[in-house]
Amino acid sequence: MTNTGVNTTRPPLGLALRSLLRSDFLVLLNSKTSLFLSILLPIVILVANTVGKGQSRLGGSSLVIGLALTLGLLTSGLFGYTLALAHDRDVGVLQRLRITPAPTWMIMTSRVLVQVATNLLASVIVVIVGAIAYGLTLSPGQYLLAIAVSLLGAAVFLSIGQAVVGLVQSTSAINAISRVLMILLLLLGLLGGTGILGDTMKTIAAWSPVGALMTLFADTLNASSWSGQDTNALLACIGYVTVCATIGVRWFRWNSR
Amino acid sequence: MTSEVNEPGSPPVLEVSQLRVAYDGRTVVDGVSFRIQRGEIFGLLGPNGAGKTSTLSAIEGLVRPAWGDLLVDGLDVEQQPLAVKALLGVQLQSSSFQAELSIQEIARLYAGLYGVKLSKDQVRDSMRTVGLADELGKKFKQLSGGQQQRLALFIATIHNPLLLLLDEPTAGLDPQSRRGLWRRIEELRSEGNSILLTTHSMEEAQAVCDRVAIIDHGILLTEGRPSELINKHKDDPRVLSVAHGAPTLEDVFIGLTGSEIRD
Repeated sequence: MTNTGVNTTRPPLGLALRSLLRSDFLVLLNSKTSLFLSILLPIVILVANTVGKGQSRLGGSSLVIGLALTLGLLTSGLFGYTLALAHDRDVGVLQRLRITPAPTWMIMTSRVLVQVATNLLASVIVVIVGAIAYGLTLSPGQYLLAIAVSLLGAAVFLSIGQAVVGLVQSTSAINAISRVLMILLLLLGLLGGTGILGDTMKTIAAWSPVGALMTLFADTLNASSWSGQDTNALLACIGYVTVCATIGVRWFRWNSR
Repeated sequence: MTSEVNEPGSPPVLEVSQLRVAYDGRTVVDGVSFRIQRGEIFGLLGPNGAGKTSTLSAIEGLVRPAWGDLLVDGLDVEQQPLAVKALLGVQLQSSSFQAELSIQEIARLYAGLYGVKLSKDQVRDSMRTVGLADELGKKFKQLSGGQQQRLALFIATIHNPLLLLLDEPTAGLDPQSRRGLWRRIEELRSEGNSILLTTHSMEEAQAVCDRVAIIDHGILLTEGRPSELINKHKDDPRVLSVAHGAPTLEDVFIGLTGSEIRD
């Protein structure tokens, strides 16, 4: 380097990552919508389902807790993460970050890590509240498994959200697509899973993101032994993460124009 | 205005050679070449859509050039993008920071990204120099236009960069804020920074820049000190046809780039 008085050294990556994580965490903490979607909405579902009745209205307690967990992951992934990313791209926040010496993978990883950590924390809270509300006694192993499934669920919905942001540039279009996608995924997973739409839809529902996750959550909370259905659900989730994350990374643009 | 600031034998801070930038097959920068020496303020002038921002974007690593070489302090922008970015301070045409973060949090984020550790007290002290010490708790959108520009410039210089890229830094500012920003740019140069700025304002170019280049339709039309450009083109019929009296830099600019309004 030939200059004097000015900074010419490459900044340390550790400090950059810590700064990104800290700011992404603050952004999430200051974003009331994200917190509501991640934590409060699932708890509202749990509590609302028990009010006025001794028994769960939607079905077995494990199903309701599984639904609450899945809904929390789905909404925070498709609305919280996806819309925040689309908005930041639209207004130039991502472009501003991109001209710093922080590698682009670090900028995205920080966001995903903070979102996943929030999802895991929310899932632990929901499982504890659900266990108390429904009088379940869960072993430490079941808690750990529930956290592992939550991690998988967070990865599924974040990668679906990433694929949406990768394929669609317009923020308003992403907003609309996320809403439609959420309704479709929920209906498919819930209604299709009941069998009232026929056996074909039931099979499709079992392989859908919501259906697969609810299967894994239900079997975890019921302490059921591992079944072929669980294997299929796990494979489906891994498949969604692989395909959607690849699409989301491959076609992602940092600038909406 | 001091212009000859380069140490003998030292490489240029920025060397742009035969730069070509194209979007979807449409060339927007075509064969642009120029150099910036240490401690120099270089102005890139051009009408809307002339290729100024695209040139800056290529230097910043935001777009990949179709052709040409870009060297910052001898480092290739394409080969060593992160090392180059560490040398650059950038103020984009429209800067946007996370709406959920306070000014203090934004400053600490970008300090960290450039490897500068700043405590809350240090942020407050630094912000005092740009008149934002009382706004630390505010969000970016709550600042006035002048304050936003000052913050953007503060962030761009938080790591004392070798080369500062300013894309229309005074656009939309009132005269007081504009003069304040010019003073800040002069201070930065005196601290050893080199500056490349784009502007529409001939007044700004003459007040601040050591050398300027006029670009239009992606092609660099002329380059030199403002006074040199006036002398060089004062007898050009295109310049004379738009001049009212002795040709000015603005007459040279309009004469070379045409009078039609650009979108």
